[in-house]
Amino acid sequence: MILPFVVAGLVLGALYALSGVGMLVLYRTTGVLNFGYGALGAMSAMLAWQFAELRMQPVLAYALGILVATALSLLFGFLAGPFLATVTTLTKATATLGLALILLGVMLFAWNDKARFLRLATDTIGFQLGTRITVTQIICLGLATVIVIGTSLYLRHSPTGTSMRALASDRELASMLGIRVRRVELLAWAVSGALGGISGILLSSQTRLEPLFLTFIVIPVLAAVVVGRFKSLVGTLVGGLVIGVVQAVASAFPSTSPFSNATPFVVATIVILYLQRRKVVTIEVSR
Amino acid sequence: MTATVNQRSSRVAAWSPAKLFSARNIVVLVVVVGVLIFTPSVVGAYWTRIFTICTIFSIAAAGIALLYGRLGLVSLGQVSLIGVGGWITLRIGHATSLPFEVVLVIAAIGTGIIGVLVGLPALRLSGLNLAIVTLMLAGAFEVIFNVTGFPNGGDGFLGRAQGGVLQQPLARPSLGTTDPDYFRYVVVVAAIMFLVIGLHLSNRPGRAWAAIRQSEAGALAAGIGTVRYRLWALAVVSATTGVAGGLLAGNAGLLDPISFKAPASILLFATVLIGGAYSLVGAVIAGFLSQGVPPLLNAWGLDGNLIFVLLGFGMIQAITTAPQGIAGQLQGLVRRIAGAIAKRRSR
Repeated sequence: MILPFVVAGLVLGALYALSGVGMLVLYRTTGVLNFGYGALGAMSAMLAWQFAELRMQPVLAYALGILVATALSLLFGFLAGPFLATVTTLTKATATLGLALILLGVMLFAWNDKARFLRLATDTIGFQLGTRITVTQIICLGLATVIVIGTSLYLRHSPTGTSMRALASDRELASMLGIRVRRVELLAWAVSGALGGISGILLSSQTRLEPLFLTFIVIPVLAAVVVGRFKSLVGTLVGGLVIGVVQAVASAFPSTSPFSNATPFVVATIVILYLQRRKVVTIEVSR
Repeated sequence: MTATVNQRSSRVAAWSPAKLFSARNIVVLVVVVGVLIFTPSVVGAYWTRIFTICTIFSIAAAGIALLYGRLGLVSLGQVSLIGVGGWITLRIGHATSLPFEVVLVIAAIGTGIIGVLVGLPALRLSGLNLAIVTLMLAGAFEVIFNVTGFPNGGDGFLGRAQGGVLQQPLARPSLGTTDPDYFRYVVVVAAIMFLVIGLHLSNRPGRAWAAIRQSEAGALAAGIGTVRYRLWALAVVSATTGVAGGLLAGNAGLLDPISFKAPASILLFATVLIGGAYSLVGAVIAGFLSQGVPPLLNAWGLDGNLIFVLLGFGMIQAITTAPQGIAGQLQGLVRRIAGAIAKRRSR
């Protein structure tokens, strides 16, 4: 009887992790913790819904949504990047709050906060395995795992991944070694935007398609990133899954269900306080 | 060779008539009195109600400005504290028949205590960590408010009227039963709160906070009890924000959890950055930006949601090119005009 909730939790957690990877790639490369990340995903989902409503091929609609999220992320990185490189991590993060507000305003202006549904074609295909599992849910779990492993390998072994890690360690030093800092940074913005777009569409199909809700889903995603101590991709995946499962299981019982939405906040606060106690983690990108 | 520098110690009383009646203070006094007398009749009933809310939020904005401008701390959960203050006010107001002013003081103390208790474990945090934790707390408070709701005259600890029982709004203070009177009431209370914050800023605590912001190690070396002063800052900010919550509760007599969501805190923080975090004028502007501009856009026939776009661009602009915000630019303007006048006079 608890199984459907565990499955739903795993899927939600995988999506938190998928978004978290995008945030983390950007944060590790540029030092920007993007609070506007949820808004990028929301924009992608809303556009995908709009294009699908206009009788466009669904796959094309999703692709366009993801493309726009990527382009917006890239544009912000292109315009604000040079400035953001010169200020503290806190100021960088604060500036992205501005991006979140702008995108949210545009979305609320274009589409009101009415309830909508994004039905993916894969939602209708499913099979019984103790409980009904749809193909979308399999895609979510599989994609999150593949992206986490793939990104880890890419960062470790590819030349670009090495440059990204070099940038994370020291931007000035990396540029002196001949790394094209701007190009690597823009790549990080693009990758992060694309991941945000993909997870936005998947999240909206698994939760709600509302601009405000999707924009501030960045808070639980942030919680997953915090569990990953702002550097570990696998930690982010585990954190996302744990948060998702605890949240879903808590929502199964009447006594805890009103508080289930607070799970990410509680987990993240405890983790931050615990890590600060031991002073193991410094959230600043080391310079 | 030694140079003598005239130093003013905080322990020496700095009060003197000349200082008390400086040009700035007189201007502020005239403006406040002018607002008190004329605003309700000039702007009409609708805008009086909106300016009431603006004034209430400017108190909370002043708290954010104190934390950001003076201590360099980003708190993204201040609207939750408004909710806490409002909850306490409604709860005490329904449970007892104390005058509203006493209830406000209790709300201030209660919110101050809660702010400090919540802030205690966060004392080690600064920078991005603190911003994230306060954002998480805002999310958690959002959930709690959704569960508990706000007292509306019912029984029990939560004070919720359920089933067939009618909701009962809290009565307004006897000094401000009508809308214009309540507006004046709120302005007076806000002026007192600004005075409290202003006095803190211009005296020893303000200097200690500035020192901590510059360098915690340096502040320690100068003999400043950093823990004590950080806690005191939290207490002052939480208490004044709690008063804002109490005033908000007194305005309609009822509160709705929907007003205290995490995004509201982020919006208020954005308006503080735009208004200017380094002066109390900025807080007044922030209050107007957050609560007065959406109805203004509606009145002009524009979509109120455009406020998000406006604030987003404003925030990025404030961070990149105008760290002093609108208030800083206004002060620069005043200084330039004063300089021009002084030059003409000396000619």
